[in-house]
Parts: sequence; structure tokens; C-alpha cells
Amino acid sequence: MMLELSSVCSGYGRVRIINDVSLTVSPGEIVAVIGRNGVGKTTLMKTIIGEVQTHSGTVTFRKQDVTALPTSARAKLGIGYVPQGRGIFSRLTVGANLALGTGVGTASQPNLERAFEFFPILKKRLRQPAGSMSGGEQQQLAIGRILVGEPDIMLLDEPSEGIQPSIVQEIGRTVRLLSRQQGLTVVIVEQNLSLIQAVADRCVVIDNGAVIATLAPDELDDPETAKTYLAI
Amino acid sequence: MDFVGQIVSYFYQYFDNAAFLILAAVGLILIYGMMGVINMAHGELMMIGAYVATLTYNAGTPVPLAIALAGCAAGAAGIIIERLIVRHFYNQLLSSLVVTWGLSLILSQGVLVLLGPSTMNMPTPLGSFSVGDFSFGVYRMVLFGVAVAMIVGIWMLFRYTAFGNRAHAAMENPRMAEALGVNTRRVYTTTFGLGSALGGIAGGMFAMTAAVSPFFGQSYTPLAFITVVIGGGANAVLGLAYAAAYLAGVQTITSNVFNQYIGYVSIMAAAFVVLLAMPSGISDFIERRRMRSMQR
Repeated sequence: MMLELSSVCSGYGRVRIINDVSLTVSPGEIVAVIGRNGVGKTTLMKTIIGEVQTHSGTVTFRKQDVTALPTSARAKLGIGYVPQGRGIFSRLTVGANLALGTGVGTASQPNLERAFEFFPILKKRLRQPAGSMSGGEQQQLAIGRILVGEPDIMLLDEPSEGIQPSIVQEIGRTVRLLSRQQGLTVVIVEQNLSLIQAVADRCVVIDNGAVIATLAPDELDDPETAKTYLAI
Repeated sequence: MDFVGQIVSYFYQYFDNAAFLILAAVGLILIYGMMGVINMAHGELMMIGAYVATLTYNAGTPVPLAIALAGCAAGAAGIIIERLIVRHFYNQLLSSLVVTWGLSLILSQGVLVLLGPSTMNMPTPLGSFSVGDFSFGVYRMVLFGVAVAMIVGIWMLFRYTAFGNRAHAAMENPRMAEALGVNTRRVYTTTFGLGSALGGIAGGMFAMTAAVSPFFGQSYTPLAFITVVIGGGANAVLGLAYAAAYLAGVQTITSNVFNQYIGYVSIMAAAFVVLLAMPSGISDFIERRRMRSMQR
């Protein structure tokens, strides 16, 4: 298993958001975490990277129990996190943002070429302050930054948020390519039905902080199912 | 010739005043810019540096080494202070002010108990040169050179090194920096240690121009504090350069037109005027205008 959550409960302070979630992700797999707004999808991602404290249960990454590890140590093991809102350092240049990706995994040299291969626009923008780029470009930078390091898994939180549809499609294709070509494992939180169907191998539905169903992406073709689980 | 001497004297005073402000404030502004705390015990770290420089010099250590040791001692003290106390007060300006102020009292009174109230001295090295009827100490110009070197050095450290990049990231968005493998705690400790070491070096250098006593730091903290507030946190290093250039100019003019005391008081007045026009400091003001022009 690449990633395994067993009976994980987590939340902010005493407030519990994630309630007994068990989930396994195989190497190279793309798992979409779906569900309505405010059910705990982002908290689940933050629990995996370690920003949110795990109250009970264990998070295992490549057979290593990481539950007690701080966020930076989890990143060094190879967990790449692309948060909602992208987490770009707006005052740093694109190049400086990319250089920080070396901290994901144990790469000794930044692999800039891999980022440029998938996101050629970044090469042209190297010296520009990252904050001056468009939302779509920033999203590409956030994913490209992870690729500069050596991630084994990428946690993508709502990559389509606030981005024009053509770029969303492009990002979907790239994620798919990264998984198939480079064997990258992906956990993606998404609300955009067409993006989910374009990338995911499997959908995990969350409600009230717990997993309530696992679906194949094409099951969401049924409007009733989509309505029940996504409130679309 | 006297006219030339007079002109040189004005410049000399200006550089001397600027060097004083920069050296006193450089470590403080580094810590403020990075972590949003103002370390009121910074003057006491300078005091530790001054004592270490004086004691090791009197024991036969050459001046440059004595100053380096002063930096190391203050840096080590700073790391201990950060680990034990300051780390609990990051981004809490008021709490950190009170706590570090208390710490400064403990340090100065502690040294008073340990070493007594008598002062120590270190001779001013390098002699003097004269222009016309005016005589100038060479060492004061060395102070200015070191002040400029410190500003340039810090600027390069934060702009061109991997550490600087991680530090910027930790400053802008610590959670995201952590998610990219940056150990933000270590970045903070290192920065605090570095700022303290710079204070120690400054203390060691000032030990050759002023008497060293347990209350040595108190002559530097207020002016350093003002310089930092005027500089602003948006671009701390540039802010320091702007603030020192401005305040030293005001001080040089008023102390020549009136007297030394008015020169000192006029720094407060000049600071007041700047804060009326730019409440969050000069570098914040400039940074915001730059951002606005970029968006346009």
C-alpha cells in the first residue's frame, strides 16, 4: 500500500471533524475524495499531511507509521501537498517557489526539467513574482513545485477552484499522465464532476467526516447518484 | 582648508550616526522582520557581546577574534532564549515585548550581581587622521564599513541562498513551508541566533567606543527600537537602510545647528513625523506602492 488510514479520527483542538475514516490507496492509483461542502474533505487531506492533529487511529505511508510525525518530516518522506488556494509564496519568484519543492522527498538536486516538461509556461515565468500570475498559472506552479522534488504521492485539494475550464482540463490530463507515466499516486479532492471522471480510478464519498461509499467514476453518470453524493 | 575639514566633519558625523543606528538595530530588525517579535533584550545580548570582547581582549586575544567570540557568545545566548522563551510568543507583538523586556531586566541585573557595577574599558584601535584642523577616528569609519557589510551580507543571505528562500517561505506561509519539508522551527531558531550574534558583534565593536557596564545595552535599545519601527517589517533589511539614512541625516543636522542633546531628541521627533505619514514604516509604505503599481 502507498497510503493507509485506519480508523482515523482528527480535527481542530477538541472539535472532531474526521470520524473513523479507513482508506487505502495503492501505488499509482488516483483516488478522488468527493462529497458536499463542509463534510471534511480538506480536513482529511490536512490530516494526511499532518497539519491537522490525529486524535486516534493511524496514518501509514509506505509501510511507515507517520501519525506522530510533523508535517515537514512527512513531506521529506515523499508526500507532496497542493492545498486549496494553491499555497503559492506570492512574494517569491516562480523560480524560488520551484526550488522549495526540493523539500518533498529526498531529492538532492531540484528536478526543474520535470516541472517544465509538464508545465512549459513555468520556464518562461521563472523570474516573475509568483503572486502576479493568473490563478491557472499558479495552480500549475503549485503542482510543478511538487514535481521538482521526489514525491511518491500527491495530495491535490480542489485544483479546479477559480480556474477557467480549459486549464482545468489541461490539469486533468497532466495528472492522469503523471500517474500513468511516472507512477505517481494521487489523492484528489474535487467538486468538478467532469474533472473527477477524467482522472479518477476510484471515488471515495465522504459525509459528516466518514466514508459512506466507494464508487467507480462512471457511476456518477447517473444524475441521481451524482445528486446524492455531490449535491449537484 | 578649514572649510574642507568642516565638510568632511559633517559627512564623518553622518556616517558615524548611521553606523550607530545600523549596528544597534541590525540584529533586532532581522528578528522582527522574520518572526514579528521585537526582542527588548537585544541590548542585553549586545552587553554580553561587549563583556565577552572586553574580557577576552584583556586576556590577550586579538581584537578581530575577540569580536568574533562576542558574536558567538551572544548567538548562543540568543538560541537558548529562543528555545526556552521566545518561541512561545511568535507573532504576538505585545506579549513578546513584555516577556523580552522582563528578560532584559533579568540579564542586566544578573550581570550586575555577578560582575558588580564597575565599568570595563577597551582602547579604541586604529588611531586617527586629520583634515585641516579637524581630527577623525579611523575606527568610526570601520564601524560604518562593518554596518554596510552587515546589511549587504544579510540581504544576500536572504536573497541568494537556499536558507534565505526557506526563511522567506516560512515568513509568508509557515504551514505551506512545512508541507514543503521546511522545518520552520529550525529556521526561526537559526534566524534568532543569527540576529543575536549580529547584536553580539555590534556590542563587541561598541565596547571599543564606550564603557562596558551591566547597563551597556540600555543606551542602544531605544534607538534600535525606533529604527526598527521606522524601517517597517515588509522588507526589513532595506527598511533598516532607509531608516538609518534618514534618522542619521536629521540627527547630524540638528546636532550641528543646536547641540548633541537636541540631535538625540530630534531622532524621536523625526520618527514621529514618519509614523504620521507611514504608520507601518518606510519599507511597508514603499512595498505597498510597488505592489499597487505592479497591479496597474
